[in-house]
Amino acid sequence: MSVVYSRRLKKELQEIQIEQADPTKRAAGIQLLQADDLKIWFFSIEVLGESLYKNEVFHLMVRFDPEYPFKSPAVQFVVSDKVKPPVHPHVYTNGHICASILGDDWSPTLSVMAICITIQSMLASCKKKELPEGNDDYVRTAPDNPKKTRFVYHDDTV
Amino acid sequence: MEREDPSIRDLPSAPRPRAHELPDPQDPRTEWINEITEDTDITSLPTAQLYELNQNLLDSSISSATPLMAELAPLTVLRAEYEGGSDSFVKQIDFLISKGYEGIRRSRGDGDCFYRSLAFAYIERIFNAEDWGIAAAKSISTLEAFLPKLHEAGFDGMVIDESYEIPRDLIRSIVEPNPGSNNGQTLTPAQLLEVFQNDSQSNYIVMFMRMLTSAQIRGNPEEYEPFLTHPDLGEQMGVKEFCEAVVEVLGREADHVQVTAISEALKVNVAIAYFDGRDKDGNVEFVKFNKAIDPSEAPVTLIYRPGHYDILDRRSIEALPFNM
Repeated sequence: MSVVYSRRLKKELQEIQIEQADPTKRAAGIQLLQADDLKIWFFSIEVLGESLYKNEVFHLMVRFDPEYPFKSPAVQFVVSDKVKPPVHPHVYTNGHICASILGDDWSPTLSVMAICITIQSMLASCKKKELPEGNDDYVRTAPDNPKKTRFVYHDDTV
Repeated sequence: MEREDPSIRDLPSAPRPRAHELPDPQDPRTEWINEITEDTDITSLPTAQLYELNQNLLDSSISSATPLMAELAPLTVLRAEYEGGSDSFVKQIDFLISKGYEGIRRSRGDGDCFYRSLAFAYIERIFNAEDWGIAAAKSISTLEAFLPKLHEAGFDGMVIDESYEIPRDLIRSIVEPNPGSNNGQTLTPAQLLEVFQNDSQSNYIVMFMRMLTSAQIRGNPEEYEPFLTHPDLGEQMGVKEFCEAVVEVLGREADHVQVTAISEALKVNVAIAYFDGRDKDGNVEFVKFNKAIDPSEAPVTLIYRPGHYDILDRRSIEALPFNM
């Protein structure tokens, strides 16, 4: 039944493309960069207005498996020569993000855009730029796909 | 005898990672082993890989053990499973049979069993209604009238349309041939079961049921808030927090509050037989959630064994297709 699954993604993509073409509808600071297929999409994210991340642009990579939307997509910040992940208590330097909606608390009622907005507001509300505890150890041993990590979610307020 | 609220006891806690199950970043065994054979010493695997291996085994045992929704089976089959065990369970089964419940339709124990069972029994009841045309029209109009509440609850319009489509088309096809079907026939009981056994379609239906439940709670906070507690910790929870973490996430079990909310949203009477072997005389208590406009309407009947819901039926074998 992969037909049904990719139908949802196609609809989401269509909706995002329509929104992006219309400045009154588009989510400020979030832009679809690339969606060549229904497996991997890239977004740019920035926090507009006053925040610790003023004038910083980040890239988000979203990977889907055939069970989307019943299984969460794998979401991480891109780390390359050109873009770096944000320094944030829930973001590891390899781009992995510790957020419960990307793991245990994922709901199929969420959309890719809802994920982008959640991550944007996670940055917007950050009080102090610092790396997660144990960043180096985690990054040294982390699997390539963040979905293979069992994160412990302790603090939703940061 | 005064019975305690069945919702507050015997519920299994959801599996949660414990600290010792998490990959230890200091663990020197961090190289994942690509090929695992019978000879592989599993203690040599890195913790993370071992965890994944365990999880996969568990997942596959769940997925192969029971279909998402099974065929109707005689209650005597369940009786045979309990014989040799506790006498009070056997007595309870005999009690149910004496009350005219002869069949059980099992659902997979994946945490979605309540929503899946209720949805199946709800749609099947339309199927079996004396005037199924009226029953289908009534159901569609109840659901359509509820759609604005899903929008008010904050769900994405596209997500609402997507998840409503499958139950709506199913209910419609009881009466009129599905536009997609090539033989111009209306739904058969076998096809209904097939849809519920199909991973994707079945999960869309579960998701829709969860959205109805969530929207009902979100739309009536004063009514539900006092009863919202964390399923494991028992702490008080707010409406939004509860709906996001307990109702809208697949695999999270339903409790009294969710049963009340979905019965209200669907405007249906639900009766749940509590099958827990507690009553020495073998009586089974039916907890009733009467939310239909006509209170005398026959309820959708489920059977609850601690931690799991199945459908209780007065028939013991599958019905034959209607339109043959």
